[in-house]
Amino acid sequence: MSSEGPERRGPAPRRRSRLRRRVGAAGRLLAALALAGGLYAGFAPGAAAEDDPQLSPAAQDGKRLFDTSCISCHGRNAQGVEGRGPSLIGVGSAAVEFQVTSGRMPLAAQGAQAERKPPVFNNEQAQQIGQFIQELGGGPQIPDGDLRARDEDAIARGGELFRVNCASCHAFSSGGGALSSGKSAPAMREATERQIYAAMLTGPQSMPVFGDNQLTPEEKRDIIAYVQDLKEDKDPGGYGLGRYGPVTEGLAVFLVGMVALVLTTLWIAGKS
Amino acid sequence: MTGTRFDVDDPAVTRFELVREGARRDGVEIVHYEPRFPIPGTKAERRVERTVAMMFLLAGGAATAFLVAYIWWPYQYEAGANLTKLYTPVLGLTLALTLAGISFGVIIWAKRLLPHEVAVEKRHVGGSPADERKLTAASLVNIVDETDVARRPLLKFAVVAGLLPVGAVAVVPLVGGLLKNPHNPDALLHTGFAPGVRLVRKDMSPIRPEDVSVGGVETVFPGIPGGTTNEYADSPTLLFHLRDEDAAAAARSANADPVNKDSMYLNFVAYSKICTHAGCPASLYEQQTHKLLCPCHQSQFKVTENARPVFGPATRPLPMLPITVDADGFFAAKSDYKVPIGPGFWERS
Amino acid sequence: MSAKRRRKFDLKAVPGSVAGRLDDDLHIASPLRKIMNKVFPDHWSFLLGEIALWSFVILLLTGTFLTFFFDPSMEEVVYNGSYVPLRGVTMSRAFESSLEISFDVRGGLFIRQMHHWSALIFMAGIIVHMFRTFFTGAFRRPRELNWIIGVMLFWLGFTEGFAGYSLPDDALSGTGLRIANAIVMSVPVIGSWAASSLFGGEFPGTVIVPRLYILHVLLVPAILVALITAHLVLLLLQKHTQWPGPGRTNHNVVGERMVPRYAAKMGGFFMMVFAVTALMGGLFQINPIWLFGPYEASVVSAASQPDWYVMFLDGSTRLFPAWEIRAFGYTVPPLFWPTVMLPGILTVLPALYPYIEARFVKDKSVHHLLQRPRDVPTRTALGAMAIAFYVVLLLSGGNDVIADKFDISLNATTWMGRIGLLLLPPLAFWAVYRICLGLQQHDREVLAHGVETGIIRRLPDGRFVEIHQPLSAKELEYAGWAVPKKMNRLGALVPTVRGFFFPLEKPAPTPVSPAPQRQAIESAEEIESRH
Repeated sequence: MSSEGPERRGPAPRRRSRLRRRVGAAGRLLAALALAGGLYAGFAPGAAAEDDPQLSPAAQDGKRLFDTSCISCHGRNAQGVEGRGPSLIGVGSAAVEFQVTSGRMPLAAQGAQAERKPPVFNNEQAQQIGQFIQELGGGPQIPDGDLRARDEDAIARGGELFRVNCASCHAFSSGGGALSSGKSAPAMREATERQIYAAMLTGPQSMPVFGDNQLTPEEKRDIIAYVQDLKEDKDPGGYGLGRYGPVTEGLAVFLVGMVALVLTTLWIAGKS
Repeated sequence: MTGTRFDVDDPAVTRFELVREGARRDGVEIVHYEPRFPIPGTKAERRVERTVAMMFLLAGGAATAFLVAYIWWPYQYEAGANLTKLYTPVLGLTLALTLAGISFGVIIWAKRLLPHEVAVEKRHVGGSPADERKLTAASLVNIVDETDVARRPLLKFAVVAGLLPVGAVAVVPLVGGLLKNPHNPDALLHTGFAPGVRLVRKDMSPIRPEDVSVGGVETVFPGIPGGTTNEYADSPTLLFHLRDEDAAAAARSANADPVNKDSMYLNFVAYSKICTHAGCPASLYEQQTHKLLCPCHQSQFKVTENARPVFGPATRPLPMLPITVDADGFFAAKSDYKVPIGPGFWERS
Repeated sequence: MSAKRRRKFDLKAVPGSVAGRLDDDLHIASPLRKIMNKVFPDHWSFLLGEIALWSFVILLLTGTFLTFFFDPSMEEVVYNGSYVPLRGVTMSRAFESSLEISFDVRGGLFIRQMHHWSALIFMAGIIVHMFRTFFTGAFRRPRELNWIIGVMLFWLGFTEGFAGYSLPDDALSGTGLRIANAIVMSVPVIGSWAASSLFGGEFPGTVIVPRLYILHVLLVPAILVALITAHLVLLLLQKHTQWPGPGRTNHNVVGERMVPRYAAKMGGFFMMVFAVTALMGGLFQINPIWLFGPYEASVVSAASQPDWYVMFLDGSTRLFPAWEIRAFGYTVPPLFWPTVMLPGILTVLPALYPYIEARFVKDKSVHHLLQRPRDVPTRTALGAMAIAFYVVLLLSGGNDVIADKFDISLNATTWMGRIGLLLLPPLAFWAVYRICLGLQQHDREVLAHGVETGIIRRLPDGRFVEIHQPLSAKELEYAGWAVPKKMNRLGALVPTVRGFFFPLEKPAPTPVSPAPQRQAIESAEEIESRH
């Protein structure tokens, strides 16, 4: 390019110089881009932990899931958003696994409390998100191994613990009960052993926290043994009427007993 | 009695006429009496007979099934879903069929096989005949005259004065035996807690502050013999470990109250578990709103405000137990509750 | 020695000779026949009281069985029986023996459940019978005394049931006992003394279950038997009331004699009450005490309620606001009004109602004929008001279960109950009053204009009219009994085809006027010839 003189030659040299000019311009452009990109890649700070080398692979998967479903209420770094979602720093993977596997999170709508619903993420995904939160801020974790005590006295021990600590909210039948102002302690019919353990450990929403210092892991296993036995042991007296107690019993007296008897009186004797 | 006299021994009299006459003498007139099936042996009649027979046979069959099930069906407790869980339902079903069979049999017999009858019974109108009344009245009044109490005021006085205490004698032992002074010893004003008594769990193990989770609650009892049993039913206590900001609010409320001043220990506060409305354990702790809900009548108490009632029929806050930590690091009561726990009563000021 | 004479034993003469001997000694021939010939009117609503009567018999039978196994002692033992989830748990002997009945006695759980269901049916029977008596005016003179006995029977049954379900000393009924203790304590002046005396000291003490036991198996049943007997004797002496109708006056009873028809119906109904009780006792679990656990003062379950017939008082307690009276160093706690004052009013007011109504209506005459509810709109509306009041309280007793299962705020259900209690009864009064007036009006309209036939005719000027069938050529006055409102009640249509699987008779040919006599259709020859 620089060797070209000011006077123009014939058409052939003009064509060749335009092409060479263009190629040259492209090459300069490419060089400039490469220089700029290289400088940027070299000196700019890393993007938000996208490829943060400190997170384990499971946690990275979890972070990806978290970023799509959770940051609108819990914030980019799980620090919480005022008026929408609390901070998750320190809640631990147990809390995450409880909330996500029971479908409570992602929350469908703000209300008196989050309710169990069909989960959005499967168990593996929930554990990944949990791992992410665990590595982000620490907190209680569900232990490995059998969460249900298997020795023969476990059910009885668990029952005593259940009646003192749990029955007042969840009812003697583990069928749940009302709390104030629209809140409720849920039924444990669908709860898995991991969910029950995590709930005791982390105290979700209105539930008090029963940390391992207060209820040891053995005691938690006993309680889980009792709850599972409650669910598995069929009622020996016939249909349990939902195990609600006198309310449904009273309903049954009128809907079954009195209806049958009054219909019988109509059959036996006359009408006016 | 007018008309021809009914001759009971007349050989021409039918049995029904005897029945009718008997009813007549009892004031009942049988005005309509019609057999259901005037011609015996019709198909319709046999059909009804068969139905009744079937009912009784069904009852018999079901009764046999009941006996068999009662004796041989397994009933000993076995966990899970198994045949023993069906023992009671099988008994119920077979017995119900037995009784229903008898019931249907008897009633269908009464409605469809027994003759249809209409009987009319006379009612007594007004009171007894006037002469009877007069005679009875005279007999009653005569008692007064016979005893001649009007003429014997000394007797009148003596009878009344004498019988009055006797009436009391009949009643007093029962009442007196049952009577028990609630204030001697004054159980209503004292629980199992006293200065230095440790707070223990159901299994009598003492508690350190680090044994209660933040945001958690533990049911505790006085660490004395029998303290965890129903012998000290007024003593169950709830020990709360509040978060910092909630504990600060609770401490502010506690220290502003002359009774609850200095009763907390750091972030720990202890309230009586016995609801001040009707005595149920008020134990539904809503960790985030700091409300304690009683399941019996829905009284709600605010844990961060001296457990004062904020909803429901309760009128008094839950008493606060003054707590501290003893030399070995275990929770202990500083003293008994400063106000009577549980439901109110007349002399509770 | 003479030859042995064989006396022929005449079996057929035995009943006669026995009866003769009985009458020779006891003189029972006339009284027995008199009772056998007593006439009872025939109406379904007169059987409702028998629901309670037969349930009482069943309670006595099943209860006796239970007394052979139950131990009312409150002494603490450690359970080591067959119900695994409670092994090693400390409990009272009362609870342990109840578990033994439920799991170790053959058929024990079945009898226990029958006993408990029967108690609930007993109270339900009393309530429906009470309302029947109320709405038809059967409580009027001369039956005020029987009505008062009835009110007493209700409260005695209430007490008996409460004592009964508190005997097993389980967590649910123990909580109820705690509340009962607080209720007694709330009575002014004597409360704490009465509570302490009843419980032998501070709650719970060790004597309350044994005392309730004696109350439940001896004292109250004795009073119940005496009062039920009095109730029935008065019924027998005064004879049953009856609906007005053809041939029925205030001076007679039209119906059927006790033996055999009425007794057969009573016996059959007893069997049916027993059958329903057995069905429920076997197929529906009730009071699963093994799930509640033994009573401990620190334990309570969500959704704690008393049995249904006590639940209305639980409702009144939940709804009553936090109003406490404190004056001169004394307290009247809020628990007093809904649990002591209210039942007091609910005993005295209903018991005196016959006299109150007689005063207001200025009616002192003797009544043996019943009134249709529509003909006494004020009383019927008052009864509806009472039912509305009662139902609001009953539902409020279970408001936490309703709140939980129907996703309503618990606090909101309390407010709904408070407001409903004040608004719904007057609303019910007004609505039922208007309905009664409307029904009365329709009766008179049919009497005046005839029964609607459903046949529409178009008149030449274009109007559509429905043809009415007049009931009589002369003017008819309302006589206090049911007015026929449909054509088939007048016998003007074909008889309905009777029979379950096959028709018992062929339907008659098209109706002619006058309607064919029933007799002709049902004659035996016709039936024979058709089959």
